[in-house]
Amino acid sequence: MSYLDDLRRELSAAGICGALQRRIVAELADHLDSDPGAELGSPATLAGQFADELGSARTRRAAFASFGALAVAGALFAVALTTAGSGFPHRHAHSGLLGTLGATMAVLGAQIALACGTLAAIRALRRRGAAAMPRAEAVIVVRRTAIGLAAGLTAMAGLALLAIEYNQGQSASSTTLALVAAAVGAVALIAAVPAAVSAGRLTPASAGLPGDVFDDLGGMAPSALRGHPWWLAIVLAAAIAVLVTVAGVLQSDPYDGALRGAADAIACLGCFTVLGRYLGLRAARI
Amino acid sequence: MKGHLDALILAVLESGPLHGYAIIERLKERSGGALALPEGTVYPALHRLEATGYLSSSWSDGGRRRRVYRLTRGGRRELITRRSEWKAFTTAIEAVLA
Repeated sequence: MSYLDDLRRELSAAGICGALQRRIVAELADHLDSDPGAELGSPATLAGQFADELGSARTRRAAFASFGALAVAGALFAVALTTAGSGFPHRHAHSGLLGTLGATMAVLGAQIALACGTLAAIRALRRRGAAAMPRAEAVIVVRRTAIGLAAGLTAMAGLALLAIEYNQGQSASSTTLALVAAAVGAVALIAAVPAAVSAGRLTPASAGLPGDVFDDLGGMAPSALRGHPWWLAIVLAAAIAVLVTVAGVLQSDPYDGALRGAADAIACLGCFTVLGRYLGLRAARI
Repeated sequence: MKGHLDALILAVLESGPLHGYAIIERLKERSGGALALPEGTVYPALHRLEATGYLSSSWSDGGRRRRVYRLTRGGRRELITRRSEWKAFTTAIEAVLA
Protein backbone atom coordinates (compact mmCIF):
# COMPACT_ATOMS: atom_id res chain seq x y z
CA MET A 1 0.00 0.00 0.00
CA SER A 2 1.30 3.45 -0.90
CA TYR A 3 1.41 6.47 1.41
CA LEU A 4 -1.54 7.98 -0.44
CA ASP A 5 -3.63 4.81 -0.10
CA ASP A 6 -2.95 4.81 3.63
CA LEU A 7 -3.83 8.49 3.80
CA ARG A 8 -7.13 7.85 1.97
CA ARG A 9 -8.03 5.14 4.48
CA GLU A 10 -7.10 7.29 7.47
CA LEU A 11 -9.02 10.28 6.13
CA SER A 12 -12.12 8.09 5.74
CA ALA A 13 -11.67 6.84 9.29
CA ALA A 14 -11.45 10.46 10.50
CA GLY A 15 -14.73 11.31 8.73
CA ILE A 16 -13.22 13.09 5.72
CA CYS A 17 -14.74 11.62 2.56
CA GLY A 18 -15.86 12.56 -0.94
CA ALA A 19 -14.63 15.67 -2.72
CA LEU A 20 -12.68 16.97 0.27
CA GLN A 21 -10.77 13.70 0.59
CA ARG A 22 -10.00 13.68 -3.15
CA ARG A 23 -8.74 17.24 -2.95
CA ILE A 24 -6.47 16.55 0.04
CA VAL A 25 -5.01 13.43 -1.60
CA ALA A 26 -4.47 15.32 -4.89
CA GLU A 27 -2.63 18.12 -3.11
CA LEU A 28 -0.38 15.73 -1.22
CA ALA A 29 0.22 13.66 -4.37
CA ASP A 30 1.38 16.86 -6.05
CA HIS A 31 3.66 17.57 -3.09
CA LEU A 32 5.18 14.08 -3.28
CA ASP A 33 5.67 14.46 -7.05
CA SER A 34 7.60 17.66 -6.39
CA ASP A 35 9.62 16.14 -3.54
CA PRO A 36 9.44 12.34 -3.27
CA GLY A 37 11.45 12.45 -0.03
CA ALA A 38 9.13 14.91 1.71
CA GLU A 39 8.43 14.30 5.41
CA LEU A 40 4.65 14.58 5.57
CA GLY A 41 4.20 12.66 8.80
CA SER A 42 2.26 9.45 9.30
CA PRO A 43 -1.05 9.20 7.39
CA ALA A 44 -2.95 8.70 10.66
CA THR A 45 -1.42 11.81 12.26
CA LEU A 46 -2.00 13.90 9.15
CA ALA A 47 -5.62 12.74 8.82
CA GLY A 48 -6.18 13.48 12.52
CA GLN A 49 -4.75 16.95 12.06
CA PHE A 50 -7.07 17.62 9.11
CA ALA A 51 -10.05 16.45 11.18
CA ASP A 52 -9.01 18.58 14.18
CA GLU A 53 -8.37 21.78 12.25
CA LEU A 54 -11.19 21.55 9.72
CA GLY A 55 -13.65 20.26 12.33
CA SER A 56 -12.81 23.20 14.60
CA ALA A 57 -13.10 25.76 11.78
CA ARG A 58 -16.45 24.32 10.69
CA THR A 59 -17.72 24.29 14.28
CA ARG A 60 -16.87 27.97 14.73
CA ARG A 61 -18.33 28.91 11.35
CA ALA A 62 -21.57 27.06 12.14
CA ALA A 63 -21.86 28.83 15.51
CA PHE A 64 -21.36 32.26 13.93
CA ALA A 65 -23.68 31.52 10.99
CA SER A 66 -26.41 30.32 13.32
CA PHE A 67 -25.97 33.34 15.61
CA GLY A 68 -26.30 35.66 12.60
CA ALA A 69 -29.41 33.84 11.40
CA LEU A 70 -30.90 33.91 14.91
CA ALA A 71 -30.20 37.65 15.15
CA VAL A 72 -32.11 38.25 11.89
CA ALA A 73 -34.97 35.98 12.97
CA GLY A 74 -35.02 37.53 16.45
CA ALA A 75 -35.22 41.07 15.07
CA LEU A 76 -38.12 40.09 12.78
CA PHE A 77 -39.82 38.30 15.68
CA ALA A 78 -39.52 41.41 17.86
CA VAL A 79 -40.84 43.69 15.08
CA ALA A 80 -43.83 41.37 14.48
CA LEU A 81 -44.71 41.20 18.18
CA THR A 82 -44.29 44.96 18.65
CA THR A 83 -46.52 45.66 15.65
CA ALA A 84 -49.17 43.32 17.06
CA GLY A 85 -49.71 45.92 19.80
CA SER A 86 -50.82 44.58 23.14
CA GLY A 87 -49.96 41.05 22.12
CA PHE A 88 -51.72 38.07 20.64
CA PRO A 89 -52.65 36.14 23.81
CA HIS A 90 -54.81 39.01 25.09
CA ARG A 91 -57.31 38.40 22.32
CA HIS A 92 -59.39 35.38 21.46
CA ALA A 93 -57.90 32.63 19.34
CA HIS A 94 -59.90 30.63 16.82
CA SER A 95 -58.89 27.59 18.81
CA GLY A 96 -57.80 27.88 22.42
CA LEU A 97 -55.50 24.87 22.07
CA LEU A 98 -53.71 26.10 18.93
CA GLY A 99 -53.43 29.61 20.36
CA THR A 100 -51.79 28.29 23.52
CA LEU A 101 -49.55 25.99 21.48
CA GLY A 102 -48.45 28.92 19.28
CA ALA A 103 -47.72 31.11 22.31
CA THR A 104 -45.75 28.33 24.02
CA MET A 105 -43.73 27.59 20.87
CA ALA A 106 -43.00 31.28 20.29
CA VAL A 107 -42.04 32.14 23.88
CA LEU A 108 -40.09 29.00 24.80
CA GLY A 109 -38.53 28.62 21.34
CA ALA A 110 -37.32 32.23 21.30
CA GLN A 111 -35.74 31.96 24.75
CA ILE A 112 -34.00 28.63 24.10
CA ALA A 113 -32.79 29.90 20.71
CA LEU A 114 -31.40 33.07 22.26
CA ALA A 115 -29.60 31.17 25.03
CA CYS A 116 -28.20 28.38 22.83
CA GLY A 117 -27.24 30.62 19.90
CA THR A 118 -25.51 33.13 22.16
CA LEU A 119 -23.65 30.47 24.17
CA ALA A 120 -22.49 28.71 20.96
CA ALA A 121 -21.22 31.99 19.51
CA ILE A 122 -19.51 33.02 22.77
CA ARG A 123 -17.65 29.69 23.04
CA ALA A 124 -16.68 29.85 19.35
CA LEU A 125 -15.44 33.40 19.85
CA ARG A 126 -13.41 32.38 22.88
CA ARG A 127 -11.75 29.61 20.86
CA ARG A 128 -11.35 31.79 17.77
CA GLY A 129 -7.55 31.78 17.91
CA ALA A 130 -7.16 28.04 18.54
CA ALA A 131 -6.13 25.94 15.54
CA ALA A 132 -7.99 22.97 17.00
CA MET A 133 -10.62 22.51 19.70
CA PRO A 134 -10.95 19.31 21.72
CA ARG A 135 -13.61 16.98 20.35
CA ALA A 136 -15.73 17.28 23.51
CA GLU A 137 -15.84 21.06 23.24
CA ALA A 138 -16.67 21.03 19.51
CA VAL A 139 -19.51 18.58 20.16
CA ILE A 140 -20.96 20.97 22.75
CA VAL A 141 -20.79 23.94 20.37
CA VAL A 142 -22.44 21.94 17.57
CA ARG A 143 -25.21 20.80 19.93
CA ARG A 144 -25.86 24.39 21.02
CA THR A 145 -25.89 25.50 17.40
CA ALA A 146 -28.30 22.76 16.33
CA ILE A 147 -30.68 23.28 19.26
CA GLY A 148 -30.52 27.05 18.76
CA LEU A 149 -31.55 26.68 15.13
CA ALA A 150 -34.28 24.14 15.94
CA ALA A 151 -35.65 26.35 18.72
CA GLY A 152 -35.51 29.37 16.41
CA LEU A 153 -37.52 27.52 13.77
CA THR A 154 -39.99 26.47 16.47
CA ALA A 155 -40.38 30.11 17.51
CA MET A 156 -40.99 31.15 13.88
CA ALA A 157 -43.61 28.41 13.51
CA GLY A 158 -45.18 29.59 16.78
CA LEU A 159 -45.26 33.18 15.50
CA ALA A 160 -47.00 32.07 12.30
CA LEU A 161 -49.51 30.02 14.32
CA LEU A 162 -50.22 33.02 16.57
CA ALA A 163 -50.74 35.28 13.55
CA ILE A 164 -53.26 32.83 12.05
CA GLU A 165 -55.04 31.98 15.29
CA TYR A 166 -55.44 35.57 16.47
CA ASN A 167 -56.04 37.25 13.11
CA GLN A 168 -59.58 38.34 14.11
CA GLY A 169 -58.28 40.77 16.68
CA GLN A 170 -55.42 42.07 14.53
CA SER A 171 -55.29 44.38 11.54
CA ALA A 172 -54.67 42.64 8.23
CA SER A 173 -51.32 44.41 7.90
CA SER A 174 -49.99 43.20 11.27
CA THR A 175 -51.12 39.62 10.52
CA THR A 176 -49.37 39.80 7.13
CA LEU A 177 -46.27 41.29 8.73
CA ALA A 178 -46.13 38.51 11.34
CA LEU A 179 -46.49 35.84 8.64
CA VAL A 180 -43.83 37.44 6.44
CA ALA A 181 -41.51 37.86 9.47
CA ALA A 182 -41.98 34.19 10.38
CA ALA A 183 -41.29 33.09 6.79
CA VAL A 184 -38.22 35.29 6.30
CA GLY A 185 -36.88 34.36 9.74
CA ALA A 186 -37.35 30.67 8.95
CA VAL A 187 -35.52 31.09 5.63
CA ALA A 188 -32.59 32.79 7.41
CA LEU A 189 -32.42 29.95 9.93
CA ILE A 190 -32.67 27.26 7.26
CA ALA A 191 -29.81 28.97 5.39
CA ALA A 192 -27.60 28.33 8.44
CA VAL A 193 -28.49 24.63 8.64
CA PRO A 194 -25.91 23.39 6.07
CA ALA A 195 -23.07 24.93 8.12
CA ALA A 196 -24.35 23.12 11.23
CA VAL A 197 -24.72 19.83 9.36
CA SER A 198 -21.21 20.20 7.93
CA ALA A 199 -19.82 20.82 11.43
CA GLY A 200 -21.72 17.83 12.81
CA ARG A 201 -20.27 15.53 10.16
CA LEU A 202 -16.65 16.36 10.89
CA THR A 203 -15.72 16.70 14.55
CA PRO A 204 -12.16 17.06 15.80
CA ALA A 205 -10.56 13.96 17.27
CA SER A 206 -8.26 15.44 19.90
CA ALA A 207 -8.81 14.83 23.60
CA GLY A 208 -9.71 17.55 26.08
CA LEU A 209 -12.43 18.77 28.40
CA PRO A 210 -15.67 20.32 27.13
CA GLY A 211 -15.70 23.03 29.81
CA ASP A 212 -18.88 24.44 31.34
CA VAL A 213 -20.85 27.66 31.46
CA PHE A 214 -18.02 29.41 33.33
CA ASP A 215 -15.73 28.80 30.35
CA ASP A 216 -18.33 30.64 28.27
CA LEU A 217 -18.82 33.55 30.62
CA GLY A 218 -15.17 34.00 31.63
CA GLY A 219 -14.80 37.15 33.73
CA MET A 220 -18.50 37.99 33.33
CA ALA A 221 -19.47 35.30 35.85
CA PRO A 222 -19.62 36.52 39.47
CA SER A 223 -16.64 35.04 41.31
CA ALA A 224 -18.85 33.82 44.20
CA LEU A 225 -20.74 31.56 41.82
CA ARG A 226 -17.73 30.04 40.04
CA GLY A 227 -17.81 26.27 40.13
CA HIS A 228 -21.50 26.31 41.13
CA PRO A 229 -23.54 26.15 37.90
CA TRP A 230 -26.78 25.33 39.76
CA TRP A 231 -26.49 28.47 41.85
CA LEU A 232 -25.80 30.47 38.71
CA ALA A 233 -28.98 29.06 37.15
CA ILE A 234 -31.02 29.88 40.26
CA VAL A 235 -29.70 33.46 40.41
CA LEU A 236 -30.38 33.90 36.68
CA ALA A 237 -33.92 32.52 37.03
CA ALA A 238 -34.57 34.86 39.99
CA ALA A 239 -33.24 37.83 38.00
CA ILE A 240 -35.54 36.94 35.09
CA ALA A 241 -38.53 36.66 37.44
CA VAL A 242 -37.79 40.08 38.96
CA LEU A 243 -37.23 41.75 35.57
CA VAL A 244 -40.44 40.38 34.04
CA THR A 245 -42.41 41.30 37.17
CA VAL A 246 -41.01 44.85 37.09
CA ALA A 247 -41.95 45.06 33.39
CA GLY A 248 -45.49 44.01 34.37
CA VAL A 249 -45.62 46.68 37.08
CA LEU A 250 -44.48 49.32 34.58
CA GLN A 251 -47.27 48.20 32.23
CA SER A 252 -49.77 48.57 35.12
CA ASP A 253 -50.35 44.82 35.24
CA PRO A 254 -48.31 43.56 38.21
CA TYR A 255 -50.32 40.33 38.65
CA ASP A 256 -49.77 39.30 35.02
CA GLY A 257 -46.12 40.40 35.26
CA ALA A 258 -45.51 38.30 38.38
CA LEU A 259 -47.23 35.31 36.78
CA ARG A 260 -45.14 35.58 33.60
CA GLY A 261 -42.00 36.19 35.66
CA ALA A 262 -42.59 33.03 37.68
CA ALA A 263 -43.35 31.05 34.51
CA ASP A 264 -40.15 32.33 32.84
CA ALA A 265 -38.06 31.50 35.91
CA ILE A 266 -39.49 27.97 36.06
CA ALA A 267 -38.89 27.55 32.32
CA CYS A 268 -35.28 28.71 32.77
CA LEU A 269 -34.63 26.23 35.58
CA GLY A 270 -36.48 23.48 33.71
CA CYS A 271 -34.33 23.98 30.60
CA PHE A 272 -31.19 24.03 32.73
CA THR A 273 -32.25 20.75 34.36
CA VAL A 274 -33.13 19.02 31.09
CA LEU A 275 -30.49 20.47 28.75
CA GLY A 276 -27.75 21.65 31.12
CA ARG A 277 -25.51 18.61 30.76
CA TYR A 278 -26.24 18.07 27.09
CA LEU A 279 -25.32 21.66 26.24
CA GLY A 280 -22.24 21.75 28.45
CA LEU A 281 -23.60 24.29 30.93
CA ARG A 282 -22.55 21.99 33.76
CA ALA A 283 -20.25 18.95 33.62
CA ALA A 284 -21.13 17.70 30.15
CA ARG A 285 -22.03 14.21 29.06
CA ILE A 286 -20.37 13.56 25.65
CA MET B 1 6.36 27.58 15.87
CA LYS B 2 2.89 26.08 15.46
CA GLY B 3 1.30 29.11 17.07
CA HIS B 4 2.81 31.33 14.39
CA LEU B 5 2.20 29.10 11.38
CA ASP B 6 -0.95 30.96 10.32
CA ALA B 7 0.83 34.32 10.29
CA LEU B 8 3.77 32.85 8.36
CA ILE B 9 1.49 31.36 5.71
CA LEU B 10 -0.47 34.60 5.36
CA ALA B 11 2.79 36.57 5.05
CA VAL B 12 4.16 34.25 2.36
CA LEU B 13 0.96 34.59 0.34
CA GLU B 14 0.96 38.38 0.61
CA SER B 15 3.13 38.68 -2.48
CA GLY B 16 0.86 36.51 -4.63
CA PRO B 17 -0.93 33.16 -5.07
CA LEU B 18 1.07 29.97 -4.50
CA HIS B 19 0.41 26.22 -4.34
CA GLY B 20 1.11 24.15 -1.22
CA TYR B 21 4.59 22.94 -2.14
CA ALA B 22 5.67 26.43 -3.20
CA ILE B 23 4.38 27.89 0.08
CA ILE B 24 6.56 25.46 2.06
CA GLU B 25 9.58 26.19 -0.16
CA ARG B 26 9.03 29.93 0.22
CA LEU B 27 8.82 29.57 4.01
CA LYS B 28 12.16 27.74 4.01
CA GLU B 29 13.76 30.28 1.67
CA ARG B 30 12.60 33.35 3.57
CA SER B 31 13.72 31.94 6.90
CA GLY B 32 17.11 30.98 5.46
CA GLY B 33 16.26 27.36 6.29
CA ALA B 34 15.91 28.19 9.99
CA LEU B 35 12.27 27.18 10.18
CA ALA B 36 12.30 23.39 10.21
CA LEU B 37 8.65 23.01 9.35
CA PRO B 38 6.99 19.58 9.44
CA GLU B 39 5.69 19.76 5.86
CA GLY B 40 2.51 17.81 6.54
CA THR B 41 1.30 20.41 9.05
CA VAL B 42 1.03 23.11 6.39
CA TYR B 43 -1.80 21.48 4.43
CA PRO B 44 -4.32 21.19 7.30
CA ALA B 45 -3.48 24.80 8.19
CA LEU B 46 -4.12 25.90 4.59
CA HIS B 47 -7.51 24.18 4.59
CA ARG B 48 -8.40 25.67 7.97
CA LEU B 49 -7.39 29.17 6.90
CA GLU B 50 -9.55 28.76 3.81
CA ALA B 51 -12.50 27.51 5.90
CA THR B 52 -12.04 30.54 8.16
CA GLY B 53 -12.17 32.85 5.15
CA TYR B 54 -8.59 34.11 5.21
CA LEU B 55 -7.60 32.25 2.03
CA SER B 56 -9.35 31.21 -1.16
CA SER B 57 -8.16 28.51 -3.51
CA SER B 58 -8.72 27.06 -6.96
CA TRP B 59 -7.14 24.49 -9.25
CA SER B 60 -4.52 26.00 -11.55
CA ASP B 61 -5.35 26.20 -15.25
CA GLY B 62 -3.16 24.40 -17.74
CA GLY B 63 -0.06 22.31 -17.16
CA ARG B 64 0.13 20.44 -13.87
CA ARG B 65 -3.10 20.45 -11.85
CA ARG B 66 -2.31 22.17 -8.57
CA ARG B 67 -4.35 23.81 -5.83
CA VAL B 68 -3.38 27.47 -5.71
CA TYR B 69 -4.03 29.57 -2.58
CA ARG B 70 -4.45 33.32 -2.38
CA LEU B 71 -5.12 35.84 0.39
CA THR B 72 -8.63 37.19 0.75
CA ARG B 73 -9.40 40.68 2.02
CA GLY B 74 -10.09 39.15 5.45
CA GLY B 75 -6.72 37.38 5.26
CA ARG B 76 -4.93 40.68 4.61
CA ARG B 77 -6.65 42.25 7.61
CA GLU B 78 -5.71 39.25 9.75
CA LEU B 79 -2.10 39.52 8.60
CA ILE B 80 -1.99 43.17 9.67
CA THR B 81 -3.38 42.19 13.09
CA ARG B 82 -0.90 39.33 13.49
CA ARG B 83 2.01 41.57 12.52
CA SER B 84 1.10 44.20 15.08
CA GLU B 85 0.62 41.52 17.76
CA TRP B 86 4.03 40.06 16.90
CA LYS B 87 5.68 43.50 17.05
CA ALA B 88 4.13 44.18 20.47
CA PHE B 89 5.28 40.76 21.68
CA THR B 90 8.87 41.07 20.43
CA THR B 91 9.14 44.66 21.75
CA ALA B 92 8.10 43.43 25.19
CA ILE B 93 10.56 40.52 25.09
CA GLU B 94 13.40 42.74 23.88
CA ALA B 95 12.66 45.22 26.66
CA VAL B 96 13.07 42.43 29.21
CA LEU B 97 16.13 40.84 27.62
CA ALA B 98 18.01 44.06 26.91
